[in-house]
Amino acid sequence: MEKENKKGTKHPLSILANEAYEVFSLLGFEIALGPEMESEWYNFDVLNVAKNHPARDMQDTFWIKNKPENVLRTHATSVSARMLEVVAKENRIPSAFISVGKVFRNEATDATHEMQFFHIDGVMIGNISDGISMVNLKGVLTKFYRKMLGENIEIEFRPSFFPFTEPSIEVHAKFKGKWLEMMGAGMIHPNVLRNVGLDPTKVQGFAFGGGLDRIAMIKWNIPDVRLFYQGDLRLNQF
Amino acid sequence: MKISYNWLKWYIPDVPTPEKLADIFTYHLCEVENIEKKVNDIVFDINILPNRAHDLLSHQGIAHELASLLNIKFIDPTSKYKVPESKPTNLKIEIKSEKCKRYMGRIIRNIKVGPSPDWVKTHLESIGQRSINNMVDAANIVMYDLGQPTHIFDLDKVKEKLLIRLAKEDESIITLDNKIFKLREKDLVIADSVQALAVAGIKGGKIAEVDENTKNIILEVANFDSTSIRKTAQSLNIFTDARKRFENELSPELGDCAMLEFSALIAEMCPMAYFEDVVDIYPFKKKENKLSFSALNISKILGLAVSKKEIEVILKRYNFKYTENKGVFEIIIPLMRLDLVGEEDMAEEVGRILGYDKLKPKIPKINFKIQKNKEFNKIKKTREYLLSEGYSEIMTYTFCNEGEVEVLASASDKKFLRTNLSNGLKDSLKLNQLNMPLLKMQEIKLFEVGVVFKKSGEEIHVAYGDKKGVEEMILDDFVLKVLDPFSGWSSFERGIQGPEEKIFGTEKIFKPWSMFPFITRDIAVWVPEEIKSENVKKIIKNNMGELVIQGPELFDEFKKGNKKSYAFRLIFQSYKRTLTDTEINEIMTKITNKIKGENDWQVR
Repeated sequence: MEKENKKGTKHPLSILANEAYEVFSLLGFEIALGPEMESEWYNFDVLNVAKNHPARDMQDTFWIKNKPENVLRTHATSVSARMLEVVAKENRIPSAFISVGKVFRNEATDATHEMQFFHIDGVMIGNISDGISMVNLKGVLTKFYRKMLGENIEIEFRPSFFPFTEPSIEVHAKFKGKWLEMMGAGMIHPNVLRNVGLDPTKVQGFAFGGGLDRIAMIKWNIPDVRLFYQGDLRLNQF
Repeated sequence: MKISYNWLKWYIPDVPTPEKLADIFTYHLCEVENIEKKVNDIVFDINILPNRAHDLLSHQGIAHELASLLNIKFIDPTSKYKVPESKPTNLKIEIKSEKCKRYMGRIIRNIKVGPSPDWVKTHLESIGQRSINNMVDAANIVMYDLGQPTHIFDLDKVKEKLLIRLAKEDESIITLDNKIFKLREKDLVIADSVQALAVAGIKGGKIAEVDENTKNIILEVANFDSTSIRKTAQSLNIFTDARKRFENELSPELGDCAMLEFSALIAEMCPMAYFEDVVDIYPFKKKENKLSFSALNISKILGLAVSKKEIEVILKRYNFKYTENKGVFEIIIPLMRLDLVGEEDMAEEVGRILGYDKLKPKIPKINFKIQKNKEFNKIKKTREYLLSEGYSEIMTYTFCNEGEVEVLASASDKKFLRTNLSNGLKDSLKLNQLNMPLLKMQEIKLFEVGVVFKKSGEEIHVAYGDKKGVEEMILDDFVLKVLDPFSGWSSFERGIQGPEEKIFGTEKIFKPWSMFPFITRDIAVWVPEEIKSENVKKIIKNNMGELVIQGPELFDEFKKGNKKSYAFRLIFQSYKRTLTDTEINEIMTKITNKIKGENDWQVR
């Protein structure tokens, strides 16, 4: 009889999340959690997303019935926003936060799209004298992707746009000879800092966020995002 | 947006080779979606970023940007636009809504609708647009060349005047493609004294359509409120290139160039036409704004020392008017650059123009004071405890068919949020029970830690169980009751030693599974006692074929007299189809016959 392994098997996304927490913890990030059902304020307004921005449309965002101004969060950036507000109140600067959480998008599902998936989102804020800048963002994310995808991973920044960062960039990683889009990032927009009660002339920081499922799919060559949520133990191979 | 390489060349003859240009787009401007090689042209499909949709959804816009970015010559076409001297007009235009920011109209008489010149056809066809007739084509050229959508009305079908107003109650319109749309009272229309002639900025109407008999026309070059355009187009479900440009907000200043180019095109196509004066209603003329920033702050944002000189070089190439005092710059924001507001915007300009490859990764040297997250620790310990107790981890869907909290307008039929984890866990138990032979598990034990949604709010729950039953409780209760020092805590402490084992660094690749059912077969064999199980296994292996995904696995053996019994299990499954009993029976018969062929071997 082949002996059964007594320990249970782990979900791949959990494995990645824990590894991510570990690498970011070593870099000084605190682990942060936040609600999945989020107010319009933390999901959009505070993040400088314009009132008429298409992302707020019902086609993209799940709004809660009979609970106006509430949504299922569309990104874990809402957690970063909440933490920025906490450090503003507690005057706890410099600080950095990392959060992995489930997010939701109202879209038709296929092999690369799901209505629910996991985001990894981080933010680092410091006084101007701490000099937190885009080269630090690149340093931190290089470390992260090397841990996730291998020690020889290179990353690069390409121009992008997000309402909550300026400058905004898209992070690409070179994996097995191909450049792949990994996440969005940038320096926290002054309007976001003002919205959480910080003074953009005194503090500066960066933020980043992207899909965890995508990293798992690239890392292990998992062909379909929907496999993560079937409750099928054949997924737990790692 | 599609950009023709040849079209760009009109304005920037020194444009780099297509290969280089693709990299320039990618690293300094925006993503390149596709590059299409045509017979005599190359077409780039690029994704202009939302903050540059004001000025870059056009060939001239891109050419301007590239000329500045690469410091190459830009050929200004303005001097080539020839419009005959115009005569006074009695065109009447009234703006009745603030949603219209500017409206320019011009009557042109004695035009002739017909085919376009070849260069117009070539330009349009290169970017996937069909040439229709000279009038429609002229409007399209202006849009793809300058980014300004325009429209043409047949003057003789317009009653009295042009009114830019909100739609009336129960008003509807038949569009150029013969569809009827009911309008809402907040939708902006272009009307005459009788009825709506066009959905402003989105689609023209049938009533004042230009046809082959049209002799006299009104050119429209206008600017509308972006939100209003987006909402109207959304409610009517109309997607046009005009909509795309207006909903991203255009500068009303674009109007002058557009009217000039539009008029010049008509003059080229209809040499016999005569032009009346432009009527220009521009209630809120945009003022020039200033923006100040310092080289020092930009360097601090980028983490890269950018000198005063480098910034001056950029400002000159981009034709920004500026003053500078001790490294502090003040620029007059070009009226087309609606994206530039604060210092951080200039940091992005400088960053992307210099190229982000200049940024060398650097870990910040800051001594952060980390606070532990208690909630996270509870989840972590719960997970580790359940794993050590042999429970496997699953994540199931938040959406389900019933619940206490409902989402609006879901793309799926599952509109409710789960109130418990147990239902998902039970379904998963059933699924995995069936797959048990594949999983090499003696029993299925599962857990999930996740958020559920009650009327009162969301809660983090823990659910775990096996075929005997499922337990579910809120995380805090689990920590108190199960991880409690007197019941499970000590076993938890024993069970978890150090951090989780490392799986990283090893190159593992996901093994996909088949979506088709599997078939399990057992075979038991009597053999003389000196025969080893390996010998039997080998014969089975040699005859079982390609469809076995697991096995032969020895699951039973015993001795009776001088004979031994071995029992093996085989699991058959195909990645391509459902297997039939008949074909598996054939394989089993083949194995059985081979075994019988050996001296003193019997299949039980």
